[in-house]
Amino acid sequence: MPSATLDKALELRSGRERPGQFWKIDLDAIDFSSLQAAAPSDPQIVAPSKPGLIACGLETARRDHAEIFNGAFGSVTGTLNDKFAALSAALCNSGAFVYIPPDQSVDDPIEITYTAKNGALFPHTLVVVDRGARCTVIERIEGESADAVCGIAEIVAAESASVTYAAEQNLPLESQAFFTRAASPGKDASVTWCVAEVGAALSVSRIDVLVDNPGVDAHVNGFFFPRGDQHVDMVSTIRHNVGESQSQTLIKSAATGRGQARYLGNIRIAPHAQGTEASLRDDALLLSPRAHIDSVPALEIGANDVKAFHGATIGALDENLIFYMESRGIEREAAEKMIALGFFEPVVERFPTAAMRDRLRAALEAKIA
Amino acid sequence: MSERGLRIQQLRASAGGTQILKGIDLEVEAGRVHALMGPNGSGKSTLAFSLTGHPGFKVESGSVTLDGADVLAMAPDKRAKAGLFLSFQYPAAIPGVKVANFLFAARQALHPGDLPPAKFRALLLEKMDLLDMDPSFMGRYLNDGFSGGEKKRLEMLQLAMLAPKYAVLDETDSGLDVDALRAVGESVNAMRASETGKDTGFLIITHYPRILQYVKPDVVHIMIDGRIVKEGDAELAQRIEREGYDKIREETAQIA
Ligand SMILES: Nc1ncnc2c1ncn2[C@@H]1O[C@H](COP(=O)(O)OP(=O)(O)OP(=O)(O)O)[C@@H](O)[C@H]1O
Ligand SMILES: [Mg+2]
Repeated sequence: MPSATLDKALELRSGRERPGQFWKIDLDAIDFSSLQAAAPSDPQIVAPSKPGLIACGLETARRDHAEIFNGAFGSVTGTLNDKFAALSAALCNSGAFVYIPPDQSVDDPIEITYTAKNGALFPHTLVVVDRGARCTVIERIEGESADAVCGIAEIVAAESASVTYAAEQNLPLESQAFFTRAASPGKDASVTWCVAEVGAALSVSRIDVLVDNPGVDAHVNGFFFPRGDQHVDMVSTIRHNVGESQSQTLIKSAATGRGQARYLGNIRIAPHAQGTEASLRDDALLLSPRAHIDSVPALEIGANDVKAFHGATIGALDENLIFYMESRGIEREAAEKMIALGFFEPVVERFPTAAMRDRLRAALEAKIA
Repeated sequence: MSERGLRIQQLRASAGGTQILKGIDLEVEAGRVHALMGPNGSGKSTLAFSLTGHPGFKVESGSVTLDGADVLAMAPDKRAKAGLFLSFQYPAAIPGVKVANFLFAARQALHPGDLPPAKFRALLLEKMDLLDMDPSFMGRYLNDGFSGGEKKRLEMLQLAMLAPKYAVLDETDSGLDVDALRAVGESVNAMRASETGKDTGFLIITHYPRILQYVKPDVVHIMIDGRIVKEGDAELAQRIEREGYDKIREETAQIA
């Protein structure tokens, strides 16, 4: 264990204050030094066969693809100075490397499944998409035990590349999940994050897009739905450091039972990033009187020739919608369920593959039941 | 048979602490068309919502029976199951819920198991065609981004698909272009001519005699300030078009 980097990670502050009065977990008080890490392992990787496409575990990547791998691994998340990313990097015991060669279009998704068992998991997925190439990655995080998972997903997209990365965290209800997901798109590249935080007692996640090149098209789509005593803390940040780019953020959340959540949606447009177009929409639905969601859009706009807007809503189910459905013979409970599921549909629709969308709909439905 | 009809007796209802309906007596007969007219704010929509059980309206006294059954004792979905339908003046938009899925759920709730999905779809397409609705509406979110006229057509589609015993149409004709108005009229008439719809009683709330040229009313009721002040035949609607409500207000002021 490289203890110097670990010590440094342990010392870093999370930078996240407690979101609300009912929020029970102090992120800076979690004792990571006592976590028992699992033995190193590779995730399950399913990839279509395409000339030049690489999809493998980290050991193979280091051994056989050092030239591409070494320069990119940690190059994006390493710059964030984030506590959880630093922990994951210091204790990394699993991971995957995906590389798509120039101009290669890969239609079928590359599916990577991490399964936590016999100790804490620190997975690192690196996706490098070369010039003009295109791919979709689906990452599933599951657990056979309640061990914590603290992971990284990293996208390095070259000029005119296009990547969709969809992550589905569905850990057992007793576990804890910490994820740092960051992308660095090249000129005219397009990156799309789709993040579903479904499971775990505590889910702390961060989604970043570093817009350092013009022509970038960045999308962040995400949803979460704490129920029972689940806590979710999600922060997304789009850093428009260079202009002539666009970004869209769409977050839907609901909470029921004593579910607690905080979403912080950052859009940072640097002073010289003229011609940026950024939109952020987040809607939160409160389904029980003891559930709580803090939803904060935070726009920092330094340039004057930009288009930026945000819309946020928070509230209970609309009685008028319930009545409309009831007036058609649909029972109140069924009506509430249909409306709540419908509330998530605009974001669920953006996830890749019908199988994934159906899985997510079923997970949402189970939460409402 | 004597119990048939949607019978409203001495209905008083309030919203936001203000009494709006001040004792409504009105009977919608099975298989007949009743028109309800009245100035803005007279309480027509309040009556429609009180009948269907909107939680924002409080019924203080009076009774409503549907073919003998006590409507006011039922939850809103039970009222629909008893055969009551409301075409909303301002239909709600429900993002994420597709028209076809919603209609299937509603049809299942009201007529459990009577139509397998394939037959349901065929019926839906047939009714949409009758209303000049593009089949692509099936896959759209309920009323989400619909134009005013499209919302009204969707209300009529639901009426046709759900085949209620009594239908209250709250200003379904408002905001419709001439073609849409004709399509709505034809849809209602097709329903009335069908085996399942021939006994449906209609209460058509409207400001204009135009819709009544397509769907001829048997009785016209006039509501002013929370009361039914006058009843007559189809000619009464023409008279209001010509004279407005002032004359009727004066005539009935003494009675009230
Ligand atoms: N929630 C409420 N609180 C207070 N007053 C209300 C409420 N809802 C309705 N009203 C009032 O009750 C009266 C009757 O309203 P209603 O909507 O029933 O009229 P209407 O006859 O349908 O009118 P229109 O022809 O304009 O549709 C109006 O004065 C309205 O402002
Ligand atoms: Mg009205």
